[in-house]
Amino acid sequence: MLNLLTAENMKSRRSKKLWIVLFILSFFPIFQAANSLMTVHYGTELVQPIDTVINGATGVLMIKKNGLTVLLVLAAFISFYIGEEFQHGTIRNALSLGRSRAQYYATKLAVATGLSLVGTLLLTLLGMISFTFAFGFGEVPGISPYFSYAIKAFITLYLLILANASIYTMIGFLSKNSGISLIWTFLYTVVTGFGAPIFLQTEHFKQVTYWFSESFLFYFDFVKPADIARFPEMVLVSLITVVISSAIGVYRFIRTDIK
Amino acid sequence: MSETILKATNISKVYGKHKALDKVSVEIKRGMIYGLIGENGAGKSSFMRVIMGLISIDEGQIELFGESGATGLQRARRKMGQSIETPALYPELTARENLRVQAANGGVSEREIDDLLRLMNLENTGKKKAKNFSLGMRQRLAIASALITHPEFLILDEPTNGLDPSGIVEMREIIGRLVTERGMTVLLSSHLLDELSQVATHYGILHHGKLISEFSREELADQTRQYIELETPEVQAAVVVLNELGIRDYEVVSERGINIYERLDDAAAINRSLVLADVDVTRIGATRQKLEDYFLQLTGGTTHA
Repeated sequence: MLNLLTAENMKSRRSKKLWIVLFILSFFPIFQAANSLMTVHYGTELVQPIDTVINGATGVLMIKKNGLTVLLVLAAFISFYIGEEFQHGTIRNALSLGRSRAQYYATKLAVATGLSLVGTLLLTLLGMISFTFAFGFGEVPGISPYFSYAIKAFITLYLLILANASIYTMIGFLSKNSGISLIWTFLYTVVTGFGAPIFLQTEHFKQVTYWFSESFLFYFDFVKPADIARFPEMVLVSLITVVISSAIGVYRFIRTDIK
Repeated sequence: MSETILKATNISKVYGKHKALDKVSVEIKRGMIYGLIGENGAGKSSFMRVIMGLISIDEGQIELFGESGATGLQRARRKMGQSIETPALYPELTARENLRVQAANGGVSEREIDDLLRLMNLENTGKKKAKNFSLGMRQRLAIASALITHPEFLILDEPTNGLDPSGIVEMREIIGRLVTERGMTVLLSSHLLDELSQVATHYGILHHGKLISEFSREELADQTRQYIELETPEVQAAVVVLNELGIRDYEVVSERGINIYERLDDAAAINRSLVLADVDVTRIGATRQKLEDYFLQLTGGTTHA
């Protein structure tokens, strides 16, 4: 698997798409800090429950603030990253050398995991830095000690993103085509993000809402004590999503005919 | 007896109602250049994909380098290289970077990259990306990529597809060199028998997913041998004249026909001798069963091969 990762490393460094993803995730926090500064300049006060990030300390919630953007950017990258291997036929190069398909899948998932981590770290750090420059570091209302909270919040938010990256990886391997994968990953993101809370309307199925990591990402505050208390549940849902989607992805990929 | 590199027995592959491969059995021994011939859709690429483990089979058995079973085949495939259908390259990478990626995939050293680029006449491509290569360059790079892991058995699917005549000649020379200089065993495919006849040592004809015929280069040469076709109402007298001319390699094929297999450039002189000996000659001329005709005869079809 180390050989496959070395090959992925070489490909990724020359991938324009990767640099575009990192650029978008770097540009957003700076742009948003400048935008918030302008908003305040014209007399509107930033409010944490609405604006999510209002100073350097709340910058740790940049993933929450840009949840949908991060997901859609990752969905697009992963769709192309996996789909193009099938479309260019380059997937044959590794597999025909007797490399196991499970290892190949794991390599792609590892790259998606790594990119998600680097991207979200970049987003969060640049968010904290640029909002600190604009509004000072400040504090997260009602949170103490901050450092422990920041680590827990970042890990939880990252895992919620990772769960989706894992689903996108599975969709990429199942669809075997960038365009089709793009459509399905976008549909998945939008439907599960905005459709899952429909279950809340029914008495018996409302718990189903929280089987989708996006429900937490989109509808939880991450600052309220009640929501912070649900961090372990969020981590659990994310990890279960990663395990189940990877198992389905590997199972189906092993049985796939490569054209 | 030389080592068996590939033994495929009764391989069948079905897509829905279409049988892509129907009980195909092929045995390839070390040093062979095995040409798989068939029209488009005959099952050539499917067979190659099966060998490389890219598609599953519904029936049959595969043995590679004496190994079988999932783990054994996986191990054996590390001694193989392939370029199936379109050249599988990373369009955004240069020739050198493409080879580096494949070297990493195979877990082998990058030391041979320069040699391979030279072997494939790609040493001057510099920073040019693979997406800007001509088809011939892409084909050559795909083969270089297949060679980077030092395969003993190379699978090339239509390696001359889309190449111009000089590209085809070049590709043929490269394949020949790989066999003579590196001792490789090669399985290659084409829909043109004529094209493979200049490089392969053994042939298999695939037609509608079935292997309908296998023959060696010598057998093909016999079947498509060039000869002088002589048509005369006086076969006996003509035979006497041929003997007097010292011609020994001929065959009386009918009451009016003799095929002469030597002195193929002397048809005019033979004709003159027959006429001087008062033997009526209805028709005389060099002829040859074309490879394409031979292929059509085998497949009984209307293909363009």
